[in-house]
Amino acid sequence: MEDSKLINLWNSYDEKFNDSYMLIQKNVQDISQMKVKSFLSTMKPVKIFTVIVGIIWVGIVGTVVTNLFVFAYSKVSLFFLYSAAIQVLLTAIAIITYLYQLILIYQVDITEPIIKTQETLVRLKTSTLWVTRILFLQLPVWTTFYLSQSMFTDGNILFLIVQVIVTIGFSYCALWLFFNIRYENRHKKWFKLIFNGQEWTPLLKSMELLEQINDYKSPA
Amino acid sequence: MQKDEQKDQFEKVMEQHRGILFKVARTYCQNENDRPDLIQEIMIQLWLSFHRYNDRYKITTWIYRISLNVAISFYRKNSIKINDNIPLDEHLSEIAESDKPENEQQLNLLEKFINELKEIDRALMFLYLEERNYREISEILGISESNVSTKVGRIKESLKQKFATIKN
Repeated sequence: MEDSKLINLWNSYDEKFNDSYMLIQKNVQDISQMKVKSFLSTMKPVKIFTVIVGIIWVGIVGTVVTNLFVFAYSKVSLFFLYSAAIQVLLTAIAIITYLYQLILIYQVDITEPIIKTQETLVRLKTSTLWVTRILFLQLPVWTTFYLSQSMFTDGNILFLIVQVIVTIGFSYCALWLFFNIRYENRHKKWFKLIFNGQEWTPLLKSMELLEQINDYKSPA
Repeated sequence: MQKDEQKDQFEKVMEQHRGILFKVARTYCQNENDRPDLIQEIMIQLWLSFHRYNDRYKITTWIYRISLNVAISFYRKNSIKINDNIPLDEHLSEIAESDKPENEQQLNLLEKFINELKEIDRALMFLYLEERNYREISEILGISESNVSTKVGRIKESLKQKFATIKN
């Protein structure tokens, strides 16, 4: 098919939009009366809910842990205290990172050229992998918070062996995932297994788009 | 500029260039029911940026940039829905295909082939079919004119081959 025929074919689209003026006019009326959306109103309810639950969790557990550190340090299990402190700290870092990235995405200038805008957006989107990496670092503390000093002095030796194996295993997994959940590993089977769900599709799509952008940025 | 005056100007621009919005929506949104949402989202972003329009660029360059940026992001967010709808749409279009006039059939084929392109290739081909010159395409996409020329050549060739395969 000739170039001119392709373009004429495309131009025949225009006839389909002759009666579209009403929709445009209605949209202009609605939009011109619209108030500028706040950052919060652009977030999906489920995301707002997750962030709120996270903040409440960090607030309550953080207050309890701080009080225990200040007023009852010698009376509580240090395993519990440090495990809870690490868990709360990592959750707080994950929430702050997530909110910071969402704010940056919200502030991206979409009047810029497409490659530039999309690259900024998808790089921010793929950097949400950081949140997952940080959250995986919590794994080992879920195997230590219930321990006490007496378990080591008076406890069953078999239990202790299993406990040490489980904690070392979880620590290895946490560190391995922290260092390996990266854009470069997106084609690996284990990566696809972890990020196999509809909620991860936009993230995986962003990664595909980043490949296209890199292709466009390389010289012709 | 007063708000009413700004609104009137915006309405004129939208009326004049509404075809761009509808064609962008059709190119990036296969589900017909979702297209009005995409058009509205594009118009909201155009309205929010209207006061910042820089006349160093043509108004069409500005509209294409925003429309395509919104559509590509919308496509990414709604890809689950889109994927869910493909089998049904394809099935229906195959049944209806034989009843349509030749021009309509070819337009549907062109639409199908463009839908098969990756997001940025799709934007490039869209701009080419809109008869934008290589300079304007390079300003909209943010790549060099020689890069535009090479990529357009490749995509055009693959489209022509697809049409030739169907014909044979």
